[in-house]
Amino acid sequence: MKQILSFILNGSPVDVIVTPTETLLDVLREKLGVTGPKRGCDDGDCGTCTVLLDGEPVRSCLTIALTVAGREVLTVEGLSTDGDLHPLQKAFHEHGAFQCGFCTPGMLMSAKALLDHNPTPSRTEIREYMSGNLCRCGSYEEIIEAIQVVAAGEYAPSGGKE
Amino acid sequence: MREVSYFAPTEVGEAVKLLAQHGEKAAVLAGGTDLVAQLNYYEIKPSALVYLGGLDLDYVREEGGKLVIGAGTTIAHLLTDDLIAQKFSVLAEAAATHGSPAIRTKATIGGNLGTASPAGDMIPALMVMDADLVLASSKGQRTVPIQEFFTGPGETVRTAEELILEIHVPLLKGKAVFKKLGRRKAQVCSIVSTAVRLEMDGGVCKDARIVLGSMAPTPLRCSKAEAMLKGKAVDAALVAECAAQAVAESTPIDDQRATAWYRAKAGTALVARALAEVAGI
Amino acid sequence: MTEYVGKAMPRYDGIGQVKGQTKFVDDFVLPGMLYAKALRSPVHRGLIRGIDFTAAKNTPGVVGVVTADDIPGAKRFGACGDQPVLADEFTAYLGEEIALVVAVDEDTCMEGIEKIKLDIEEQQPVFDMFEAMKPDAPLVRPDLKSNLWDYGSGMTTRVMYIGDVEQGFAEADLIVEGRYQTGEQDHSAMEPMVSVAYFDEAERLVIHTHSQCLYFQLGQLAAIFNLPMSRIRYVGGVVGGGFGGKNHIHADHLAGLAAIKFKRPVKYRYSRREDLLYSTKRGVFILEYKTGIKKDGRLTANHIKLWHDSGAYGGFSPYGVEKCSMFASGPYHIPNTRIDGQCVLTNKAGSSSMRGFTIMNGQFPMEMQMSKIADTIGMDPWELRFINAWRDGDIGASRYVVRGAGALEAMRGAAEVHGIELPEHLLAMSSRGR
Repeated sequence: MKQILSFILNGSPVDVIVTPTETLLDVLREKLGVTGPKRGCDDGDCGTCTVLLDGEPVRSCLTIALTVAGREVLTVEGLSTDGDLHPLQKAFHEHGAFQCGFCTPGMLMSAKALLDHNPTPSRTEIREYMSGNLCRCGSYEEIIEAIQVVAAGEYAPSGGKE
Repeated sequence: MREVSYFAPTEVGEAVKLLAQHGEKAAVLAGGTDLVAQLNYYEIKPSALVYLGGLDLDYVREEGGKLVIGAGTTIAHLLTDDLIAQKFSVLAEAAATHGSPAIRTKATIGGNLGTASPAGDMIPALMVMDADLVLASSKGQRTVPIQEFFTGPGETVRTAEELILEIHVPLLKGKAVFKKLGRRKAQVCSIVSTAVRLEMDGGVCKDARIVLGSMAPTPLRCSKAEAMLKGKAVDAALVAECAAQAVAESTPIDDQRATAWYRAKAGTALVARALAEVAGI
Repeated sequence: MTEYVGKAMPRYDGIGQVKGQTKFVDDFVLPGMLYAKALRSPVHRGLIRGIDFTAAKNTPGVVGVVTADDIPGAKRFGACGDQPVLADEFTAYLGEEIALVVAVDEDTCMEGIEKIKLDIEEQQPVFDMFEAMKPDAPLVRPDLKSNLWDYGSGMTTRVMYIGDVEQGFAEADLIVEGRYQTGEQDHSAMEPMVSVAYFDEAERLVIHTHSQCLYFQLGQLAAIFNLPMSRIRYVGGVVGGGFGGKNHIHADHLAGLAAIKFKRPVKYRYSRREDLLYSTKRGVFILEYKTGIKKDGRLTANHIKLWHDSGAYGGFSPYGVEKCSMFASGPYHIPNTRIDGQCVLTNKAGSSSMRGFTIMNGQFPMEMQMSKIADTIGMDPWELRFINAWRDGDIGASRYVVRGAGALEAMRGAAEVHGIELPEHLLAMSSRGR
């Protein structure tokens, strides 16, 4: 049975017709053209579909779309503001925190959630928090480094947290 | 297109009525971390999804000398809840090993019980505390001791018309720990897990609970091993003997995560480590 | 330009990656796009007696099916050209694609597939290489004469040699034997196999591919579609991880066939589980070593027999045997060396290239053998390796003359990194001469 789903996507209200078994990932990618979150496993294991739901990281592939009615979803597309890259995006880019890039959208969202909760994580805390995001190319060291430099304030624009 | 109805009741009464109507054809959706993967891979074909997120079952309270945990409490909530940290820290230990942050924000304790995996991370901790599960249906509520809840892998005494409403945890004495071994440290299904609780009087054990996960068709309470400890002075030799007995009560299998042989070896070590830790030896 | 040398530069495509704008194949969602899913073989080895698609075709939302009869051109593909594009007579591994159901979405494809009535005769499969090589073993496929790969004219053993191993063994003070195996491995790229195909405004078939090697594959696709290469726009360049797994065509041929038949954009996508179960793998290698040594540590002969599990089809495996053979005797000067390589077919999904192709599947066992030799003769394993390491001008079984040898220098570097102090006489050695 099709239903209209309304929620806030990257700061703007959206309405979309969905079916009950469609996941948030299905709806973002196939219906809303938001292809930043990737489909890597549909099983919750790989982490590349990670988005923030009301500020908390979730697997969009394991989230039934209708359950996000009225809630706020943030994807990698919503990370940069007014054309400026988010500090994490800058750091990932400049520290080469990816090779193929397929895991990057999920990595960035998990990293954002981490720093929102814990602005100065230790290396161990970064490793633990990012443990649900897999990078088959093996850019983990660079990913940790990128998160560390953001936590150290290297990319923060003057006057603001982000 | 799959013909599935979606319901998001906002009251328990409404939810159990829906379950009574749809019976076996309804799938109960809480955090979705198990269920939605099954839907994605066409392993289940429900005709109705009943989403419990609107029931406000995400709470931890202390009532009448017990902890009352709403079935919709997320694993992430358990990790940060002060009451859990103070009075039921073994559950927080288990929660910390469950999935990864983006799984824990959605997965619920009720879901972990309902999925009834022999590897369910939250179950051994609840079992060492003799938790009771409150099941609700349109006919009323019943309380099932956790010991009697599981009947096989993915199988429980919960009928299709019931939902898990609350978990009642008596605040039993003693110290408890949870240990888990997986193929990696995070986001992993256990090869073997264990929770133990010992109530000690000086060096003598007054009461004991030993539970193994992933070592039998259901999470397993090892009563013979427990009996070995009661009334005894706990030392390293008894711990080793008791750990071996606990594993002897289990029936581990070979699967993609490990062989039965490895599970038995690792399980013995894990139980011994847990017992030594709570006994302070 | 020199200002860039020695500096880490941000990637030219990095901004797109961090903004989530890089278009991977699955990110193409086109108006009117159909989806295809495969009916896969439910048995490891079977004979197809008949298929009834009636109920599947009548499923609301199903546009149609694609079978081997719909292939305009070549019915077989792969690096060896022996793999059916769609199975029509037999299946040789569990999950082999038999037909496609094309529908408005994947749910409907799966519904249609469930309604297909497949009449398949299950046959005894063979999974183990040594079982498959027995004279009375079932044939992996009915179109084979033997489960050993035929390199041409009935030659089933690929031989590489230099000198005479028997003479080398006669000169040796000691012989050490060893048997080593490397296991199967999946590439597990983050991006599962997927393809999108459609016709553009100029009636060219456009295929968005994650291929690692477009020009290995374009010719195969042109042959399958019976289209000149100029009518195919094969668009690649964005790969969500490959590791050798995307050297084989997994999806492009099937998306293309469906697009040709239905004249609409089609996406063919593996689920992660399909990808793990049915895409190509690194196949098993088993190597047996017999090595002759002088008491002073000089190697006089090395006879290696190796077997590679190819799965049901050739793919890159026959080549993989050759590649493995070239390196299975290590970076060591052994005047008498012989490698007998065989490629064995079994009823498993095909094996193919993976990271370094098949080279380390030979290097790993040789290093194990070297350690075993060192233990046997009671020599420091560094010394054994230093004595025998290639110097410029040495020649191995592949008959390449070694130039710019660097094994000694690499080992010295490794020792330094690990804080191991090597004796002076080893440090004095050079790859420039013996």
